[in-house]
Amino acid sequence: MSDIGKVRVRLPSSIKPGDVVRVRSLVIHPMERIERDSKGRIVDKKYLYINRVVATYLGKTVAAFDTTQSVSENPTFVFSFRATDPGTLTIAFHDTHGGKYEGTADVKFV
Amino acid sequence: MRRLVVLVLILAGCATVADGPDYSALPRWPSHAIPQARGDVRALPDGRRQAVRYEGWTTQDFGRFRTYAYDDTRPEIPVSRALPPAGLAGDARKGRALFLSREKAPCTGCHLVPGADVWPAGSVGPDLSAIGDRRLPDAYLYQQIWDPRVTFPNTTMPPWGASRAFTAEEIVHLVAYLQTLKGPLPPEPDAERNPFTRRRPTGFGDNLDPTNNPAVVIAEDAEKLWNAPGPNGRACANCHDGGVTRAMRGVAAHYPKLVAAYGRVMSIEDFLTVHGPERTGRPLLAESAENVDLTMLIKMASNGMPVQVDVTSAEARAALARGKASFYRRIGERNHSCADCHTPERGANKFLGGRMLADVTEGLTRHFPTWRTSQGAAWDMRRRFQWCMTPLGANMLAADAIEYAELELYLTSFDNGKPISAPGIRH
Repeated sequence: MSDIGKVRVRLPSSIKPGDVVRVRSLVIHPMERIERDSKGRIVDKKYLYINRVVATYLGKTVAAFDTTQSVSENPTFVFSFRATDPGTLTIAFHDTHGGKYEGTADVKFV
Repeated sequence: MRRLVVLVLILAGCATVADGPDYSALPRWPSHAIPQARGDVRALPDGRRQAVRYEGWTTQDFGRFRTYAYDDTRPEIPVSRALPPAGLAGDARKGRALFLSREKAPCTGCHLVPGADVWPAGSVGPDLSAIGDRRLPDAYLYQQIWDPRVTFPNTTMPPWGASRAFTAEEIVHLVAYLQTLKGPLPPEPDAERNPFTRRRPTGFGDNLDPTNNPAVVIAEDAEKLWNAPGPNGRACANCHDGGVTRAMRGVAAHYPKLVAAYGRVMSIEDFLTVHGPERTGRPLLAESAENVDLTMLIKMASNGMPVQVDVTSAEARAALARGKASFYRRIGERNHSCADCHTPERGANKFLGGRMLADVTEGLTRHFPTWRTSQGAAWDMRRRFQWCMTPLGANMLAADAIEYAELELYLTSFDNGKPISAPGIRH
């Protein structure tokens, strides 16, 4: 299996300044699920799942998500933002163990 | 004299056709698979036998029933006639519970019956929603469940009584339930409940988009493995230079094929199990993550190219004949063949429960290894075969068995000319 934290980010192949573009991103992550004991109590341990996703572009946060372990394994996040200038879109996935996994895509105009 | 020789040749030709495929001259093949994938059965201290399978799979031993092994010469379950036992009254309620029981068949996998709790029903067998209106005798329905081959020799329905999957009493209850199913049927509230009107699945989008199919990301990662030297200091990249994409371009289009050095048909996965350790010293056991990931990487180098497996040489034709015989061979507790579910004349393109059965004539192998959204893992063709064995009620063979390789070759012959697109993505 692949290592945890591989990120892929994908932008449309041709975009123009000012376009609202749809970004697709995927991170390889187990998104460990909460377990309960026979009495229904949550088993106390440090669960491993992504709880925050932050997308930055031109020094500004363009999207941020608070997530829980109910999001699937190897999750895909899709969102839109307005591409105004050339630059780098960075998507950072933070998990409950302090892991931070980043992927980038270059915003280029043709 | 010459005429005699010709006559002898014709007779010899007839003899081989009548005898079916030739199983002689195949090598004995020790498995190079991970322990869970070897099809082992072990004896427990209390004498019970337990099948070794993957984590989370059943450990039930189906040793009573025949398998795909070429040396398993047992016949299929003999056809058996039976009459309902006298003095046993059927209970329709019990019968309905049995009909829906997932511990058993369930019968609803193939047959539609009324009820909102019938979910998901399949359409492989006839709709039984109003079977009671046909006024069939109890004894006929009993025989039909016990062993339908008495009436329909080529049926896809298993012999539930003859295989001892259902007891005589249970079949009496099932018959009582079926006789209560009478029309007129109320209007169907949900088109999805009925497999004859249910929408067809549309798939999971672009399988080659890494933000859609995690297997692409995993396979690209296997490039590290391709470049990493094994214990004897050599890596795949040392002999196959120019990068995996260039070095392996078009290679996958010819597999499975007969590899003369090993005297058997091999898929890429099979070949890696022996070729990898011979050259690099690193084991690449069948069904290990390394083997499957490398296979995906190698196969991706041929994406878009048409499959061109050899189907014309004498060796290939002999192997195809054996693979085809396996495809039509009835095995396991259910006495099913691959053909029951996967040929358009029988189950293909129909629903088995909620699953659409794949059609062999469309070619089923060119997207393998494939990401399974239901399993969260990439599966090669062999693990898919092994997964099929459990519902058939048959013990699985080793993932790298010759029987599976030749069956895979037969399936791949239908992919010929169609473009490779791996890794795929399926439920």
